[in-house]
Amino acid sequence: MDKKKRIEALNEKARAIEALTHGEDRSVAALDEGGLLKMPVGCTTIYDTGWETNPRASNPVGMCQPMSHDYLGCAGDCWWPAQNPDGLTNYLDLELTCSSIIRDWRDIK
Amino acid sequence: MLCEWTDHKVFGVKDGAILFGVDQGTLFFIDQQTQDVLTRWSRETTLELDDVPQADREILDDLRDARFLAPFGARHRLQAFDGDIASIPLTTMVLEVAQDCNLACTYCYAEGGSYGRPLRLLDPETARQAVRKLINDSGDTETVTLVIFGGEPLLNMPAVEAAVTEAQALSLETGKKVFVSLTTNGTLLDQDIVDFVHSNRIAVAVSLDGPADLHDANRSDVNGFGSYATITRNLEGLLKGATSAVAARVTLKPDQWQRIEEVFFHLLELGFHEVGIAPVSPVRLELLPDAEQEEALLQGFAVLSRAFLAAARQNRLLPFTNLIDLLARLHLGQTKAVSCGAGYGYLAVDTEGGLFVCHRLVGEESFRVGTLDTGADPAEIRRALDEVTCGRQEMCRSCWARTLCCGGCHYENHLRENLLGLAPGGSCDFIRRWFQLGIEVYAELRRSGAEEFLQRLEKRVKC
Repeated sequence: MDKKKRIEALNEKARAIEALTHGEDRSVAALDEGGLLKMPVGCTTIYDTGWETNPRASNPVGMCQPMSHDYLGCAGDCWWPAQNPDGLTNYLDLELTCSSIIRDWRDIK
Repeated sequence: MLCEWTDHKVFGVKDGAILFGVDQGTLFFIDQQTQDVLTRWSRETTLELDDVPQADREILDDLRDARFLAPFGARHRLQAFDGDIASIPLTTMVLEVAQDCNLACTYCYAEGGSYGRPLRLLDPETARQAVRKLINDSGDTETVTLVIFGGEPLLNMPAVEAAVTEAQALSLETGKKVFVSLTTNGTLLDQDIVDFVHSNRIAVAVSLDGPADLHDANRSDVNGFGSYATITRNLEGLLKGATSAVAARVTLKPDQWQRIEEVFFHLLELGFHEVGIAPVSPVRLELLPDAEQEEALLQGFAVLSRAFLAAARQNRLLPFTNLIDLLARLHLGQTKAVSCGAGYGYLAVDTEGGLFVCHRLVGEESFRVGTLDTGADPAEIRRALDEVTCGRQEMCRSCWARTLCCGGCHYENHLRENLLGLAPGGSCDFIRRWFQLGIEVYAELRRSGAEEFLQRLEKRVKC
């Protein structure tokens, strides 16, 4: 049944809340680029997903998140050492040369 | 997601139900299926949405979107106002220009207009001082209200004129609008006073209780002569060329409540622009209604509400003030964190320049909160209001009407509980049923597509 018919906002406050909820829905939809599969963001215990799965409709096609994410995907408490630029010894100025990993990943040498 | 129900109340109507969100002030119409799901699941205090069968889940999601379900622990509950009183600008000042009256109404709460003290008149200079205080303490408020009250205020025209003249001068000086209203028994309205009222656009409320027999039984002079004939004679001049609304302010005793419809239409025929009806305050125990009388009062209001709906269908506004004010609030979904403005931007000044939290509590020493010279003391306002509100929030906690009523009139509560020694909550049932009536009328108006009509109501309460 049509939602409108089932529950119908009567007064101005109810209408405002309805509009607010509609706005929230749109925000959630905008964030939810993963589509129906709703892949988790970040690491699994083994490796970053993304290369292997294909739920993403927008660019870069074929990844659940931008592949550039992998450069930092293994930071913090993640044990996976492979692709994380070493900011302690070799790339001390990583923050400067690559302040946005999505935009600046090509600067990593 | 673990959710909990927010406070709500369901009112069944013929093809579904109205759902009232207590803390939000929202009104929704729900169909039978939604109502069934709501009834089924609201027996649970908390609810894991992911465990709910799909058929019910969709409806519960809609109810969650409408804020009837909140994430567990995140439920918003409207709290009573506990902020800084000193930060609230003064918006309304009531001047008791005469604590004296030429009538001796049988139900008067002001003890013959004197408020329990020897008869006194407000000095014109004090009247001017009160108006200056209103303007000076009004902060950024653009429109303030000056209420000329008594006793019978027309017994003291020098003070009335002083107050109105001062208000106009200050209005010009500051750019603020001063809305002036006057409540009178109407017996002393001569042509000069009527001209003064018209030229100053003063909104007048005349205390008139209905047809002659009924009115005169309530409102006679000290010698027992009724005032109906005098008032209706004076009324003609007041209504002719009126520049502001002229309202009838009706007070009815319990044994008169079965005549509400007759009273209302009689006053409309006399030419009043609006009619507001108040059940009398039980200043004496014999004025307390019994259950049957209370039922008659509600039935009377229900009859007028149906007449209001019938008029609305023809895009006419039946000027039944009680209902219009309630509908306007319901339309916007206004909730209250205080029961009224008394002490919060609303003060009354007596003939000696003493400040009280409201006009009805003038003369009650425990509600004195300062003087015109010293100003109102926020701590005194808090103390005075605590006297009638302490513990009430606890009592109101489980009431669905608490955000519309917020504890009710301070004076009525003081009278019933502190002076007459009655148990609190004696008028709660009536108040709830009156709100329910308003909610049903509102839903019917909205569902019949009376958008434009409702927008006209909106203007009354929007601030």
